[in-house]
Amino acid sequence: MQSFVLSSEQLNVLFETLMAKMPMMGPKQRSDQPGFYHFDWLKSPGELVLHYTTTTIPPKKAFFPPVETMFSFKLGDPPELTHIIEDTPFVLAGVHPCDLAAIKALDDAYSVPPADKRWLANRRRAIIIGSDCLPDEYCFCTSMNTADARLPCDLFLTPIDRGWLCEVHTDAGKNVLKNIQKDTAQKKDIEDASQWRLQKAEKISTKLNINFEAFAKILEAGGLTPIWKEIADRCYSCGSCNTTCPTCFCFNKYDEFDTTLTSGIRKRVWDSCQLPEFAMVAGEHNFRGERWERVKHRWHRKFLYLFRQFKRPYCTGCGRCSRACTADINMADVINQLAAASEKERSHA
Amino acid sequence: MKKKRIAFFDFACCEGCQLSVLQLDEKLLDLLDHVEVAAWREVMTGESDQYDVAFCEGSITRETDIHRIQNIRQTADIVVSLGSCASIGCHNALKNRWPTKKALEIVYGEQAKHFDSIPARPITAVVDVDYQVLGCPVSLTEFEAVFKCILTGQAYDPPNEPVCVECKRNDYLCVFEKGQICLGPVTRCGCNAICTAFGEPCHGCRGLLDQPNLEAAATVLTADHLHKIMDAVAHQYQLTREEVLDKFSLYNNWPELTFEEDDTHDT
Ligand code: SF4
Ligand code: SF4
Ligand code: SF4
Ligand code: SF4
Ligand code: SF4
Repeated sequence: MQSFVLSSEQLNVLFETLMAKMPMMGPKQRSDQPGFYHFDWLKSPGELVLHYTTTTIPPKKAFFPPVETMFSFKLGDPPELTHIIEDTPFVLAGVHPCDLAAIKALDDAYSVPPADKRWLANRRRAIIIGSDCLPDEYCFCTSMNTADARLPCDLFLTPIDRGWLCEVHTDAGKNVLKNIQKDTAQKKDIEDASQWRLQKAEKISTKLNINFEAFAKILEAGGLTPIWKEIADRCYSCGSCNTTCPTCFCFNKYDEFDTTLTSGIRKRVWDSCQLPEFAMVAGEHNFRGERWERVKHRWHRKFLYLFRQFKRPYCTGCGRCSRACTADINMADVINQLAAASEKERSHA
Repeated sequence: MKKKRIAFFDFACCEGCQLSVLQLDEKLLDLLDHVEVAAWREVMTGESDQYDVAFCEGSITRETDIHRIQNIRQTADIVVSLGSCASIGCHNALKNRWPTKKALEIVYGEQAKHFDSIPARPITAVVDVDYQVLGCPVSLTEFEAVFKCILTGQAYDPPNEPVCVECKRNDYLCVFEKGQICLGPVTRCGCNAICTAFGEPCHGCRGLLDQPNLEAAATVLTADHLHKIMDAVAHQYQLTREEVLDKFSLYNNWPELTFEEDDTHDT
């Protein structure tokens, strides 16, 4: 892997050059609340804030928008369908390591046949520029092995004394840097960047007290119903833990007729397994009708089913679900609570 | 196919839902192409008592209202409760916190004897309705969706998902972050989180979910320390359980809101 050094001015030139050619999404300050950031389409490179803490909604929205039109249709024999898939390139900048890991996780999940055409098409459009971060009290990426994730970014930026260390991870990334003034990285620059990562790891206070396999076994063994019920007593089933999660990929679809009643569009929207009707099937049967079953499902899904299928938990430790939960249900705390409960049980047995 | 004849009727309310429907502007004309209008006091004079679909707004607050809505039910094939007064009781049901006589005296003083009144209730509590449109005032998106369902013979169930879902899909800032108290987590969505879009909390005008976790709300809102997003609320407000109920019953006092009636996870 090649690394360069860009001064802040040179980095700005890079973003200006890119934005002259294509739209760019990145973290920027919220206009309605200073000090809060969100991923959005940028009007100018100056709006990009690389020192942001975190965002409520993850950058997956660049590839999988919360509400999108899949196709328009016209009834008839045969009915007409027009798929709406974009192919113009864009840049997604300022993606933290945990969120890069999440995009990789969704690449894998959405590549399983029948692959998700929309996700894959949007992924092909994008140049991804990652950037390193400093954690807050909800982050637990060091426990999830995502603190230093790079795939699938094209370029990755770490703040150093001389400006930014810019790692080149793909040919596309190399291309982007072609006509940009830059310096080759010296030993000191590389050390600066490792120093940043060390500092970050040290700052992380939230840690899991159990490894993935052991936790999967606890879930598999079951018998945790009282704990799930206790958590469910506090849970609203509001779905915010899913709608803020960078690795959640469930969606719902519905049709909207226009006023002619003969043509319309099909939309898809982010869904959530915490919502009461998520698992409702024909005949109003609901195989997770009770709140505690849905709570249980979120942990089972992320740390057991998908862990077994993809050999990695579908959680990056970004902490968004815990931050967003108005009922104060905390992802890492629950894992540690379950681990402790099962430990106690074993020592009694 | 013969065009359906539609009619609009109002009971105790501000008539804001009818007025909102008019704000569909050109779209309304496109929709009305599919029907004939038999009665609609807010937009036309004269009314016919031959109609297939009755859009009824407002709450039932007098004995005479009961007969009138029953009559409408007998005439129409399809009855739609239009808005939260008609569907869930809305503010009107707040008066049920007082004995009817007392409520009459508070409002009309000495003239109270000239008025007849019964505890307020939504239309849905008196007759079966085929469709509900929620909101104070109605969500126009939902009105349009319901209108199209009527025309195409499809059922429509009000969403049983909280406002938080739409709030997050739009990437709005959670108002709890600003120390405000929001009813979004227990309130039916369908308004596209229009209030939080403008930085205002949801007051619950679209009614409670089928299984709102009011106990969770009480736990959260009465706590004296919580995580970051809620700390300002815990510190500034320190609500009591009664105050939590007060907040939640603003639009949702039919039937009278209590914690005991809440369905928690065991339903
Ligand atoms: S965000 Fe919290 S309250 Fe809402 S569904 Fe998730 S765990 Fe439950
Ligand atoms: S099942 Fe639940 S946890 Fe899993 S991806 Fe879907 S919404 Fe997310
Ligand atoms: S489950 Fe929570 S901590 Fe894990 S990736 Fe999703 S939002 Fe982040
Ligand atoms: S502002 Fe209200 S509706 Fe939006 S996420 Fe927060 S609690 Fe839910
Ligand atoms: S956000 Fe709440 S109060 Fe506002 S329109 Fe929607 S349901 Fe009503």
